[in-house]
Amino acid sequence: MTSVAATAHGAHAHHDDRSFVRKYIFSTDHKIIGIQFLFVSLFFLLVGGLLAMQMRWQLGFPGQPMPGGGVLPETMAPGGVILPEYYIQLVTMHGTFMVFFAIMPLLVGVFANFLIPLKIGTHDMAFPRINMWSFWTFFIGGLIMLSSLFVPDGAARAGWTMYAPLSARHDYSGASIGQELWSVSIIFVGLSSILGSLNYITTIINNRAPGMTWFRMPLSVWSLFITAILGLLALPVLSGAAIMLLFDQTIGTHFFDPAAGGQALLWQHLFWFFGHPEVYILILPAMGMVSDIISNGSRKPIFGYHSMVFAIVAIAFLGWIVWGHHMFVSGMNPTLGSSFMVSTLVIAVPSAVKTFNWMGTMWRGNLRFHVPMLHAVAFVAMFVIGGLSGIFMAATPVDMQIHDTYFIVAHLHYVLFGGSLFALFGAIVYWYPKMFGRMMSERWGKVHFWLTFIFYNCTFFPMHITGMAGEMRRLYDPNQYTFLQPLQPIRVFISISAFLLFATQLIFFVNFWWNLWKGEKAPQNPWEDNGLEWSLPSPAPHGNWEKVPTVYRGPYEFSSPQSTEDYLPQYTKLPTDREPARAPVAGH
Amino acid sequence: MTQAAATVDQMLPPYPAERGLDVYNKKLGMWVFLASEVMFFAALIGTYVILRFGATGEWAKPGIVLNIKITAFNTFLLICSSVSMVKAYAAIQDGDPKKMRFWLLMTILGGATFVGIQVYEYIHLVEHGFVPSGVREGSELAALVANGTLPAATMGLYGSTFFTMTGFHGFHVTCGVISMTYLYLTKALPGKYSKQDYGGIETVGLYWHFVDLVWIILFTIVYLI
Amino acid sequence: METAHKRPNYILIWVYLAVLTAAELALAFELPISRNLKLLLLLFLAVWKAALVGLFFMHLKFERWNLRIMALIPLPLAVIFILAGMSEHIW
Repeated sequence: MTSVAATAHGAHAHHDDRSFVRKYIFSTDHKIIGIQFLFVSLFFLLVGGLLAMQMRWQLGFPGQPMPGGGVLPETMAPGGVILPEYYIQLVTMHGTFMVFFAIMPLLVGVFANFLIPLKIGTHDMAFPRINMWSFWTFFIGGLIMLSSLFVPDGAARAGWTMYAPLSARHDYSGASIGQELWSVSIIFVGLSSILGSLNYITTIINNRAPGMTWFRMPLSVWSLFITAILGLLALPVLSGAAIMLLFDQTIGTHFFDPAAGGQALLWQHLFWFFGHPEVYILILPAMGMVSDIISNGSRKPIFGYHSMVFAIVAIAFLGWIVWGHHMFVSGMNPTLGSSFMVSTLVIAVPSAVKTFNWMGTMWRGNLRFHVPMLHAVAFVAMFVIGGLSGIFMAATPVDMQIHDTYFIVAHLHYVLFGGSLFALFGAIVYWYPKMFGRMMSERWGKVHFWLTFIFYNCTFFPMHITGMAGEMRRLYDPNQYTFLQPLQPIRVFISISAFLLFATQLIFFVNFWWNLWKGEKAPQNPWEDNGLEWSLPSPAPHGNWEKVPTVYRGPYEFSSPQSTEDYLPQYTKLPTDREPARAPVAGH
Repeated sequence: MTQAAATVDQMLPPYPAERGLDVYNKKLGMWVFLASEVMFFAALIGTYVILRFGATGEWAKPGIVLNIKITAFNTFLLICSSVSMVKAYAAIQDGDPKKMRFWLLMTILGGATFVGIQVYEYIHLVEHGFVPSGVREGSELAALVANGTLPAATMGLYGSTFFTMTGFHGFHVTCGVISMTYLYLTKALPGKYSKQDYGGIETVGLYWHFVDLVWIILFTIVYLI
Repeated sequence: METAHKRPNYILIWVYLAVLTAAELALAFELPISRNLKLLLLLFLAVWKAALVGLFFMHLKFERWNLRIMALIPLPLAVIFILAGMSEHIW
């Protein structure tokens, strides 16, 4: 049997004489672009968090001056006391920044860019320059959105879902240029996403290394591939809608203006036709990376690899015909509503398949609870809770009661934070060695994980309760309703937990930044994993391999009898392996 | 192996890879991009259909606000430019760069003329009082609304949808003309295309045919119905 | 790669497209038929023209089936969206 000393296909970087600017700023190297997305998105995650902290101050300690609130203008928070007009901006921009500038780019912009060429065995993306444009359009969109916080009359304030005609008319919302800037920024984000998807799809279809057949691709790559297709087809609809909204806001068109024959519900249909595939974009890559990490942490092949692939495809496919479940109380056609109820209940099935498969993978595995594994297992548990609350909403009659309450807020935070963000923390720790050549601190990683897990659940679980009790979302002052006044202690508890949760993230940020310079130098394959990227030195060099590796097996050969180690990389050739059939050349 | 397949193989790189879709990257990339463009126009055209279908009240009859004759000619022109594009592609496939350059130039001229006529049409419409928000007060068309030839209730939607759909289509045509001109000047004229390497022509050709295809749909549903 | 095929007669396709366009104009303005029938026929003609461009100019007829599927995937999505939006006005 062959000892699995990593057969170093990782050749040294060929002599790289690009300038600093071409190497790190206007780079076409997918790894650098991924890291650029990482740094910028982490910044926007911080922005989104700060906005949320202000919201929680108002909800926990209404009418009281906020510490540090003195820096805010008098029109937003006189004497540090948050005004309703400002509160609704906080709500809107928190959602906007988190969805479009934090979670989506962290999952797709970072990991699709960084992982895909490495995990399928090619030098770079199919269109490296378009890839660079994808980052810079995202960056411009982010700057525009950030600027909207500082313009006269403030930022957009119709919720991240920007319902029209509230969002279309300045006399309804009270905002002016802030609303337009939102639309313009989103158009840039859409463009960035489409350019990125173009690259990911073409690269995965055409540039896989010899032997990397479709069913030998890791689930992280499968999920990023399917996500790219969703993004490719959904973001243009958002761009179209944002353009029409911008026109309603600026040149006097009437798409969403009922007074002139327009339809308010049209905006909702357009937005959610994009919006539902968008939420699958926000979860599928997380699921894929969690699969890789759980398999590694269990030292077992992923349970039911093929069904995992089909489940991803099924979720993506069904995701196109469920969007109306966001509109059950809008007054839409009830028959249409019922059809959406059915399709939404059905989409729970493939998600459940994945959950059972993760459990099956861990069952009787040789479990290693390294930091990524902790996060991945927490993902499964939190995602189950979020998914179960989703079933409540899928049933239209129940949704009539809980729509636009904190029950929804709890659901979305369980899947987006408990789900996507936990998966992201795990993924960042997992691939940090390959990105930066250093290890993050295992001890502080565990401290961060446990504190985050506790404070996160303290923050969001009670929202299920207040939501069921009828507390509405996006509401500045719940205490104006006598039936919500008794819930104030819970609101205080949530706010304090949220402050502690935010403070805890400091540990992650320090762990991340400190170890970039002072971290322990990373070995080539610190997690003893099978993917192609672990055949390269840490960090991976420009151009990846001089000669692309050949692939002899799938990515989850842990505890294989053919190997002396408990892992067997995809690129290791055993005496019994045959070379892949001479493939006709494809690519470029 | 046919002539076409042999040349395509030479557009592929020398390093080995799994068999993908048997279509070189630039072309596959363009098809993927076109799929996203279909969704973009679906949002705009879908909005038009939904707004018009749901409008309470009549929609303006075809031919009253918009000039059918000029637009029909423009449609024909765009179709011709699609033919000249595919002839340019066929020429370079046969290894005749001179003929390819001729047909590519014809395509660029056809496309530029299309845009020119569209711009002329827009100026004309605005002068007569048709704007994205509907009909301008005190204009020629406002008189038609007053005497009932044009329905007051839906003119706002008519303007909104017309200018958005045709405007973005015109924007896409313009981008196509610019791209083709760029390729003409930087690759076609210096003789960089050959029987072995004509991927750029095929790729821009696909985009151009797509733009023509969208117009075929738009002309029918915006001008004729 | 494209399957071995004889090159289509592009000029002939051009003639078809011209004839279909003329037919559309005649249908829209000359023929005295009911509005719904006119709508249906015009849409049919437009789709036919679009298909000619797609199949012959864009060579979809000669590409592999999976490229054809990829090109066609957005269409059912567009139809679903439009039908759903329209259904708001028929209840």
